[in-house]
Amino acid sequence: MRPNDVSLDNCLKCSDCNTVCPVLSAHPAYPGPKHLGPELERLRREGIPCDTDWLEYCLGCHRCDMACPNQVNVSELIATAKASHKKALVRKIRDFWFARPGLLGKLLSFAPRLTNAMLGLRPARLLMARVLKITADRDFPAYVSPDLRTPAAVASPVSPVLFFAGCAIQYNQTELGRTVLSLLQCNGFQPVVASAGCCGLPALANGDAAEARLCAQTNVNALTEAVGAGMPIVTACTSCGHMLKTGFADLLADDGEMANKAKRLAEATYDLGELLMARADQGLQPPAVRQRRLRLAYHAPCHQISQGIGRPWFHLLRQIPGVEIEDLNAGCCGMSGTFGFKQEKYPISMAVGQTLFDRIRAADPQMVVTECATCRMQIEHGAKVKAVHPAEVLLDAMRTEIAPLPSP
Amino acid sequence: MESDRFDLIVVGAGISGMTAAAAAASRGLRVGLVNAGPGQFVFGGGCVESQQLRPNEAPATLGEAIAFFCDVTRQAGCPFRGGLGERRHLPTIMGSFQTVALAPFSQWNSDVDEPRRAAVVGITGLSSFDAAFVTERLTDNARRLGFNSRYVAREITLSTAPGTVASTLQCANRFDREPRFRQELLDALTPVTRDVDLIILPGLLGLHSKEPDIAAFERALDCPLCELPTLPPSVPGLRLFHALEAHLRKIGVEVFSGFSVNRLDLGEGRCTGVWIDTPARPLHLLSEAVILASGQFSAGLLGAEFFGTDGWLRPITRSGAPLADNLYAAGALLRNTGGHGGNERAILTGYRAGMLAAGQGGRYAAE
Repeated sequence: MRPNDVSLDNCLKCSDCNTVCPVLSAHPAYPGPKHLGPELERLRREGIPCDTDWLEYCLGCHRCDMACPNQVNVSELIATAKASHKKALVRKIRDFWFARPGLLGKLLSFAPRLTNAMLGLRPARLLMARVLKITADRDFPAYVSPDLRTPAAVASPVSPVLFFAGCAIQYNQTELGRTVLSLLQCNGFQPVVASAGCCGLPALANGDAAEARLCAQTNVNALTEAVGAGMPIVTACTSCGHMLKTGFADLLADDGEMANKAKRLAEATYDLGELLMARADQGLQPPAVRQRRLRLAYHAPCHQISQGIGRPWFHLLRQIPGVEIEDLNAGCCGMSGTFGFKQEKYPISMAVGQTLFDRIRAADPQMVVTECATCRMQIEHGAKVKAVHPAEVLLDAMRTEIAPLPSP
Repeated sequence: MESDRFDLIVVGAGISGMTAAAAAASRGLRVGLVNAGPGQFVFGGGCVESQQLRPNEAPATLGEAIAFFCDVTRQAGCPFRGGLGERRHLPTIMGSFQTVALAPFSQWNSDVDEPRRAAVVGITGLSSFDAAFVTERLTDNARRLGFNSRYVAREITLSTAPGTVASTLQCANRFDREPRFRQELLDALTPVTRDVDLIILPGLLGLHSKEPDIAAFERALDCPLCELPTLPPSVPGLRLFHALEAHLRKIGVEVFSGFSVNRLDLGEGRCTGVWIDTPARPLHLLSEAVILASGQFSAGLLGAEFFGTDGWLRPITRSGAPLADNLYAAGALLRNTGGHGGNERAILTGYRAGMLAAGQGGRYAAE
C-alpha cells in the first residue's frame, strides 16, 4: 500500500464515485465508496475506531477510481481499510481459503474427479453453507489436473512471450490455457508457460494484505528475469492482468527496489487481446475464416475496463466473417471472484448482475463472450446462457490455419 | 481496420464533446471519445440558456447546431424541449428562476407565465432539498418578477434502506431497479396532486430512465411533473450523460472512459494523436484530427503558448498562428472569449468543431 497516499485530500465530496458503484446502486443500505473510502479514512488516520462490516462488500471493481474527477484512489483506501478489518471467526476461516486460490487449487486438483464429485454433492454443499457460509445456490467450477505445459516450438523466427496463466486457467480451465497457447502460436508467438503463483487479487479482495504482498513479491521475483530479457508477459485473465499492471506496484510501493521491478513488470504486461490486437493492427494476424453465422454478446469485465486498453476483443471478434457481436455495456456482473460465493453476499451479487442478465436476455445471443472466468460463471448462473472466453471463438475461426497442438 | 487509428479524437465528454463526436460520426467519421468522468453533468441539469453568445462567435450556425443537438438527444431517449426563440423561467433548488431556451423534458414543465398552482414536494429526511425554503423563495421571487404561478410546500415520506438517510441518488437507483419503489412514489404523490396542477420534485426519477419511463410515470400520476437538479450528484444531468454516452456507442463512437489525456502529438503544424494516462503504459491513439473539449483545465495540454482560437476554432498562439491546422477547441475551453455560455456555446462550438473536423470526410469508418 502506498504509505503516504494524500489523495484523500483531493476529495471534493462530489459523489461521482457513488453514482457508479455497482453495490450501492443495487443495495441502497451500502454506505458507498465516498463514505468507506476518503470519509472514513480521515477518522482511521486519527486512530478513531470506525471499522465496519460494509468494507467487505466492496467489489474492487475500480469504477469509483475511474469516475473520480480528482484522482482520489478511492478503492485503494477501502482495500487498505479492508486489510485491518476484524471479521467473525467463520468468515475469517472461509476467507482465508478464498484468499488463496493457488493453494486451494493445488489441493483440490490433486484428485480432481473426487473433488468435483464431493463439490457436486448436495448434502456437502448444504453443510458448507451451514458451517462455512459458502452459498449452496451456486455451482463450484470443476477442477482439472494442472498439466498446462510450454508447447514445443513450431516455426521460426518467432517472438517469445511468457504466458501468466493464473489460478482459474491452471486449476479449472487448462483447456482454455491450451487454446491461448495455440492462439499465440498461430499469431507468430512462441509462448512459454510462466511458473508463477496466484496474482494475489483474491487475497486483496478478501482483506489479506500480507498474503497479497507475498504473492506480489513471489511473482515479481519469478518474472523479473523474463522482463529483463525483453519478453512480454501475457495474461488471458483480466483480474491477473489488472493486478500485474497496477496491484504489484501499489503493494510494494514502500520497497524501492521491488517497486521498480514491479513497475517494469507492469510495463511488460499485456492482456492477450491487447497483444493480438496490436498484431492485427500491424497486419500480422492470420486470416480468420468462418462461414457459420454466430451471434455473440460481449461483456467487458471491470478489470478489463480498469486496464484502459479499449475493447481489443470486441474488435478482434467483430472482424471474423459471419460473426455478429453486440457490446452489452451493462456494468458489473456482481460476481467479483469469491464475493458471489459468500452466503451473506450472494443476494447482492445477483442483484448487481440483474442489469446485465436483463440485457443479455434482450440481446438473445447464442453465446456471451467475456475474458473473466468468474464473470462467465455469473453469466451462466444468472442469465442461463453459455459464456466463453473470446480466445476460444477466435481460435475456432483460425483453426484451419494450424495443426492442432499435440496433447502433452 | 487499425484499432488505434481514428479520423477524429474528441477529448472530453461534456455537452460540447458529445455534440462534436455525434456530429462527426453522423458525417461518417471513425470517432474516439476520451473522457475522465462525467464532468459537469454531475453539477447541472443540461439546460440551455439563450442569448449568451457574442456576435463574433458566428451564431449563424447556432440554429443548425441546436437542431442537431435536439435530434441527437431525442434519439438518445432524453429529448430536450423548447427552442432558441423560447424563454422559460424554470425554478431552481435555491428558489430562484433560471431563464432558459431549452431544457431536458423532465425539467421543462414548470412554465411560470401561466397561472398555476404548483406543489414543491420535499421528501422526509432528504437533506439536499428543502421544500419549505424553495417554496418561500419561489413565492417571493415570483411576486417580485410579476409571475402568476403560486407555490405550496408538501412533504412525502418514502421508505429508505435500513441505516441510511434519504438521498436523491438512492431514490434514483431504486426508481431504475424497483418497480415497487415507483409504485410507492406514485402512491405518495397522488394525494398531493389533488389541489395542484404541477408537481415539482427534486431530481430523482432514475439515472438510466428514458423519456418513455418518465412519461409513463407522469401519465399514471395524471399531473404534470418537473424535476429540479439538486446538489451533486445531479440525477437529471447524469441521466443525460448516460443516455448520450450509450447513444454515441450505438452509432459507432469508440469511448475511452476513466483516464485523462496527458499529452498531444503536436509537430509541424499537425496534431497526430493523443496519449491517455492508462495503467502500465500510456494508450496512444492516432488521429487525423483532434478536438479538445475537456473544459477549462485542458488548456494545460496546449502549453503556455495557447492564447485563444481563430475563426475555425483552432487554438492559436499570441501571434495568431494556429498550433495545428487539424486541432480544434470547443466548449468551456473557449470561456475566455466572453462570459459563461449557458451550454449554448458548448453546443455551438462542439457542433462546429465536429463539422470542421468532418470537412474532409473520414478515412477509417468505412473499413
